[in-house]
Amino acid sequence: MSTPNGNGGTNTGGTNNGGHSYVGAPGSISAADVPALFEGAKFYSPAVGDANKSSLTSWLEGLLDRNGPVPLRRPQSMPPRTPCVSLCVLGSGSALADLPPSGDEFVEAVRRIERIQQVTFGAVYPLAAATVSALVPVVAASQLGVPLLDVDGMGRTYALIHHTAMFLAGLSPTPLVAQGPTGESVLIDAPAGARADRLLRGNVDVLGGWAALASYPTTTGALGSAALHGTVSRLISIGRLMLERADPESLVRRLGALTGCRRLGRGRIVEVEHLSRPTDVTIPAHPSSLVVDETHGQHRQLRIELRSEIVAVFADGALVAAAPDLLCLLDVSRSELATLDSLEPGDLVDVLVTPADAMWYAPEGMAMVGLESHGIPLELPRRR
Amino acid sequence: MTQTGRFTRAGISVGPSGAHAAVIDGDRPVAVSRPMPPEPTAVLTAIGAATTRFPDLVVVDISDVLLDGVVRAAPEVPQVAVVRIVPRPATDPALARSPADEVERLIRRRFTVPGGHDLLGHELCPIDDAAIAAVCAELVREDVRHVAIVAAGSQARPEHERAVADAIQAALPGARISAAGDFGGQGLVAREATVVFDCALGALADHELGRWESALAGRRSSALLRVARGDGGYSMPSRIRTFPSVVLGATDALALSGAAHLAGLHDCRVLLPCAESGAAGGLNVRSSVQVAGDVRNGLPVVRPGELPGIGTELVVPTAALAPEPGPGQPRHRWPSADVPVAIPTRSLPELASVGAAIARPMAWLDEVAFIESAAQLDRIRRDAEERATGIVMANGAAPGTAHLTELSTVAVPYSPSGTVRIRVRVVGADDPSAQPAEPAGPALGSGAGCSAPEKRP
Repeated sequence: MSTPNGNGGTNTGGTNNGGHSYVGAPGSISAADVPALFEGAKFYSPAVGDANKSSLTSWLEGLLDRNGPVPLRRPQSMPPRTPCVSLCVLGSGSALADLPPSGDEFVEAVRRIERIQQVTFGAVYPLAAATVSALVPVVAASQLGVPLLDVDGMGRTYALIHHTAMFLAGLSPTPLVAQGPTGESVLIDAPAGARADRLLRGNVDVLGGWAALASYPTTTGALGSAALHGTVSRLISIGRLMLERADPESLVRRLGALTGCRRLGRGRIVEVEHLSRPTDVTIPAHPSSLVVDETHGQHRQLRIELRSEIVAVFADGALVAAAPDLLCLLDVSRSELATLDSLEPGDLVDVLVTPADAMWYAPEGMAMVGLESHGIPLELPRRR
Repeated sequence: MTQTGRFTRAGISVGPSGAHAAVIDGDRPVAVSRPMPPEPTAVLTAIGAATTRFPDLVVVDISDVLLDGVVRAAPEVPQVAVVRIVPRPATDPALARSPADEVERLIRRRFTVPGGHDLLGHELCPIDDAAIAAVCAELVREDVRHVAIVAAGSQARPEHERAVADAIQAALPGARISAAGDFGGQGLVAREATVVFDCALGALADHELGRWESALAGRRSSALLRVARGDGGYSMPSRIRTFPSVVLGATDALALSGAAHLAGLHDCRVLLPCAESGAAGGLNVRSSVQVAGDVRNGLPVVRPGELPGIGTELVVPTAALAPEPGPGQPRHRWPSADVPVAIPTRSLPELASVGAAIARPMAWLDEVAFIESAAQLDRIRRDAEERATGIVMANGAAPGTAHLTELSTVAVPYSPSGTVRIRVRVVGADDPSAQPAEPAGPALGSGAGCSAPEKRP
């Protein structure tokens, strides 16, 4: 298989590693890595189900087969003035499933910013290395023939586009382009970066419910201190572990070794409540809550507060974990991640908590994505 | 009915090379047969010989026969033309096709017509009448007789699919047309795969059901014939002729409920036996893989998802199965389960025949809706329940017996606040007063799908 991108990445991932779960830091992403990339990306955001999984993964596998593996590079390994831009799917995974990409949306979004800034991007990176937003930068990198940077801005997904390490470091998300599956696009250039999301959000619905977002145009040198590092390569290791479909006990144990995650409790979903907290319509998805009765251990009742992600877990009324912790549910019966769009009363789930990147626990990070930003004015419980 | 007033039921699981049958009197299995040739007359004769009185109701599982027809490209499984209605055509070949080879092999031609709606039914692009006319002309020129139509957003607004279906029906009055809007569900590619199977399998389903109807009529029996669905329930044969894809995956779902029934368990985990060689439609999809599924409230846990061996998601619900943990794990005990584990000793088709014998009429809806208040959510839930109840009646439930067994409403992440996904499962009881159907004529040319009087299978 050729590597037309010519950036000299060493393929330590992919087919050469067979079924091993530990791949270190892969030098490139090949078609063989795509299933693991998809599963690992689901761990860092359980928002999107599998309704369009086979179509998206076969698209990416086809590109990587045709164009060769995409080099995965650390920003520091590239000339510091190399222009680069972030990519993600903005909007709903369900909308994306029902109106799949035509295939050129992400490249078109990048090209438009190139025309505005009169630059040629030499690399792309994920805005959020999680859910389908972890796959589309690989698509664009393959189509553009540029490397993918092993960084992202969130280390998971947050609801708003300025909830990023880059924004906290002073980089602007604009100019940004949202390219819709309808062929239409929106360009936003807002001096105050935090206004960009509000300007953007209403347009996404008109574009079809989702859009290819190119934002945070910058340089690899600037990203060196302004992004979260190693957040793409870790997806492959975690995804390979998920694909082994080990029993839930050993899966959680091994996930703990890789990510620091631990189980808060295991139980059956007994209720899903809606509009369970005041709604701020500027944030996607209305508040809802899950009630889980523990079937093991202390037999507590867990109350899980949801938005587009899980934002808090209470056990018998006491807060036990909250954003920016990464919270997800493991479907115990199937030993796979339970996505938030497919939960049902009766499902047996493990509630898992994983520490987010340390920067999110600093005062600036907490002010941006902490529990209070979800309308729950409680202190984050001390990490045990 | 028996002298005790109970309904006696037979379940038959038919594969390409054999059939198994079970007879249930009340809740008690009275006979489970050894493998037989898949000949309806022979199977019904064996059932008659095993019981003092021929059963009142016969539920037949033909899912493996249909899958086998797909795999070996049976002459009764025609290739179909697919019309996708989306704002723009795909620019990448992988996005223009189905990711599943089994689906793509069924497709003779593909067309894209500009049009479509978003998830909540807002029009994204007007339907292109000139493109519809061009597609119709091409279909007429090629004398295409089977057409599957899928539009973005048709589960919310089917108007664009109907416009295309109406035009094709006018241009090709004898064509069988299947439209994805009749199935609901999530994902254009999954809905397309479902409707391709639906269109392609109509003739084979009609042929197979005709054989069973003729054999039953030949016995001068008043037994009712029903057809097992992928969700573990049953439908009337007429409904299956219209929506054959709802039977896909029935064998697995029935095997779960059959195993639980034999174990006397209402809620349990079932370790399914490995499929025999040649089973599952010849796909051998899991001949060497141990899988397990769950039974809750006596019903198999089902989800829309990927049917083993197909390679893409479908929107019709099928058994939610998972590979059992790998080597070194105890096969007989799921370490995390809080429910008993059933480990059946019978084969998969035997279990499926028991599951068929205890199957009940069933309906399932999977929709997206928009709410702004708790009261509106209640209304939407009631509306979905009422529509599912109407469907389960059409599937053969006795009046007044339909009841809600599952209701799930979840917020759709990263969608506008208020967007919810609603899934409803309704189950009914047999209708002993129903009249046995006469063998039906061929379904081809009946214009199934968009013109079906009842929406959603």
